[in-house]
Amino acid sequence: MLTLKLAYRNILRQRRRSLLTAFSMAGGYMLFVFSMSLLEGSWSNVVDIFTLDHTGHIQIHKDDYAKRAKIHKTIEDPKAIESTLKNHAAVTGWAPRVYSAALAYGGSKTAPAKIFGIDPTLEPTVTRILKKVSEGEYFSSQPNPDGYFPAMIGRGLANTLKLGVGDEIVLISSGADGSIANDIFSITAIIGNTTSFDRLGVFLPISAAQEFLAMGGDVHEYALLARNKHDNEQLAADLQKLLPGLTVSPWQQIEATFYRTMQSDKQGNYFTMALIVFIVFIGVLNTVLMSVLERTREFGVLKSIGCRPSELIKLIFIETVMLASISITAGLALILPVIIWFTEVGIKLDISVDMGGVVFDTMKGEFSAYVIFMPMGFMLLTAALISLPPGLRAARILPRVALGSH
Amino acid sequence: MKTVIETKDLVRKFGEAETQVTALSHVSTSIKEGEFTAIIGPSGSGKTTLLQLIGGLDEPDGGDVLLSGTNIANMSGKQLSDFRRDHIGFIFQSYNLIPVLSAEENIEYIMLLQGVSAAERKARVREMLALVGLEGLGDRRPAQLSGGQQQRVAVARAMASKPDIILADEPTANLDSTTGIALLDTMRDLNAQLNMTFVFSTHDQKIMDRADRLIHLEDGVIQLDETRQS
Repeated sequence: MLTLKLAYRNILRQRRRSLLTAFSMAGGYMLFVFSMSLLEGSWSNVVDIFTLDHTGHIQIHKDDYAKRAKIHKTIEDPKAIESTLKNHAAVTGWAPRVYSAALAYGGSKTAPAKIFGIDPTLEPTVTRILKKVSEGEYFSSQPNPDGYFPAMIGRGLANTLKLGVGDEIVLISSGADGSIANDIFSITAIIGNTTSFDRLGVFLPISAAQEFLAMGGDVHEYALLARNKHDNEQLAADLQKLLPGLTVSPWQQIEATFYRTMQSDKQGNYFTMALIVFIVFIGVLNTVLMSVLERTREFGVLKSIGCRPSELIKLIFIETVMLASISITAGLALILPVIIWFTEVGIKLDISVDMGGVVFDTMKGEFSAYVIFMPMGFMLLTAALISLPPGLRAARILPRVALGSH
Repeated sequence: MKTVIETKDLVRKFGEAETQVTALSHVSTSIKEGEFTAIIGPSGSGKTTLLQLIGGLDEPDGGDVLLSGTNIANMSGKQLSDFRRDHIGFIFQSYNLIPVLSAEENIEYIMLLQGVSAAERKARVREMLALVGLEGLGDRRPAQLSGGQQQRVAVARAMASKPDIILADEPTANLDSTTGIALLDTMRDLNAQLNMTFVFSTHDQKIMDRADRLIHLEDGVIQLDETRQS
C-alpha cells in the first residue's frame, strides 16, 4: 500500500508534466480504440455482406464439393443433418441448397446460367434474399396455375435475355442420373443487380430443382448461421464431430482468399496503430526518464536504506503503469459514448454503396470487448515495457554516484 | 566486545591518470560493538568516502571491508541491499528524506522493505518518533519540518530497522550549533540505551567532543586514532 502511495505521489510531483503525458496516452488510446472500432466494424460489415448474401457462417458439403463441385457429390441423408442442426443451440438458421450449371433460353436469346435450388422458407433464415428482390415477388414452392414452377432470376440474366417478371424461362441442363434436364419456369422476381454474384443465377424452389436435376431428395449444401458469428470456427469444429461423414467448413475456409486478404489488411492496420502507440510512448519514455533522472539522489537514498535494485524497478514500473491506467480510464470514459454512437448510429456516407443488391449507406463501427480491451492491454504492456529502461538505470546506479547527483 | 567494523588496507581513488586523486590510502581500522566513534578531518580528507565504503555504498579499489566478520566485497547487489537494510542505518548531511512521504511514512518505508507486519510497523514508528522527540509531527511532510526535525526523522528512520551499525555523514553540518548538539545528544542517548554502534563524520569541535573515539583522517590516511574517557 505504501509503495502504491509512493508511486501515486511521485506521479503528482510534476502535475503539469504528468497531465500532459496522461493527455497524450489517453489520446493515443482513444485513437487506437476508434481505429479498431472502424477497422473491425468495416470488415465485420463486409463479412456480413457476403455471409448474409449467400455464404452463411458455415457450410456443410459432401467431400470436397466446396472446391470441386460435381452434381453427384450430394448429401444423401438430409433429414439426419437437419435434425442435428435443428437441435444445436448455437445454430440460429440453416438452409439446404442444390446447384447446377444450365443453359437459359428467353425468347430467341440464350445465356449460361447457374441454378440455385433454395428452400423458399428456410433460405431467408440464413441470407438477406428477401431484401434482394428488386422487382416482382419472392417465390413459393408451389407451381402456378399453368403448372410451371416459379423462378427468380438475376438482373444480369434478365438483361441479357430481355426477360421480366411474368415471362417464362427455359432451362436445359444435365441431370444427376445423366439424363437431359429441360423445363419451363415462370419468372416471379428479379434478384439483385448487375454486380451481384448471382447476377446470372436462376433461383428455383429446391423441390423443383431436385426434380429438374433428377436428384431425388439429395442436396449439395447446407448453409447456416451461428448464434455468435465470431465463434463460427468453433461451431464448425463442433459440427464436424457430430457429422463425421461430411465436410463442415467455416466461411474462412470457403472464402479463403478473401479471408487472407482481410487478415493482411488488418495486420497492416495493426502495425500502423502500433506505430502510433510507439510514437506516443516515446513521449512517455521521455517523461519517465526525466522523472528518474530528477530523482537519482532519492534512488541513492532508497538503495542506501536497503531497497533492492528490483524494488526500484518495481516502483518505476508501478508509477508508469499507474499513470497509463489513469490515462486509459479517462480515455475510455471519453471514447465510450463515441464508439457506442458510431456503432449504433454511424456516419452517413455521401454516396451509398450497393453490395450485390444490398444498399449500405452508413459506415458503422464495432463495439466489442476486443475493440476496447485489446488496445488497453497493448498500451498497458507497452507502458510496462517502457518502464524497464529507466527502472534498470535506477537499479544499476551505484549509491555513491546517485547520492552525489543533484 | 566484538568487532563489528573492520577495514583492511582500504584504497579508493577517483579520476584517471593525471587527474587521479587518492581519497583513501591503505586505511585499516576496527570498531567495536556499541562504540560512539567520530571520524574527523578537514574537507576532502576522505571521511565521507570511508563511511560510504563501510556502508557498501561504494566499491573500494583495494582492501576489504568486514562487517561483523562478513566481507561485503563478496556480496551480490541484492545481498548487499539486504545487508544494508537489516544491519546498517544511514544518516546523511542533507537529511535525504523522501519528500512525498510523511515523517511516519519515511520511517515506515524501511520496515516495509524488511517485511515487517503493518501493525508492528505502526508501533515502531510511534516508538521511534517518541525516541527522537517528534510525537505529534508524524503526519508532516519533510517540507513542513525544520532542518533539525528532518534530521531527527532521518535518525528515527536509520534506527527503525534495528540495525547493528549507524553511519552518519556530517549529520549536524546543516544544523545550527544548538540543534546540532541536541541531535548528537539524542544519538548519544540512543547509543547508550540500545548499544548500537555509531560512526559519524564531523569537523565540528563541539560535536567531536561528544565521541568516545576519534579517528583523525588527513589526505586519506589515518593520522591518529584516539580513544577518550566518557
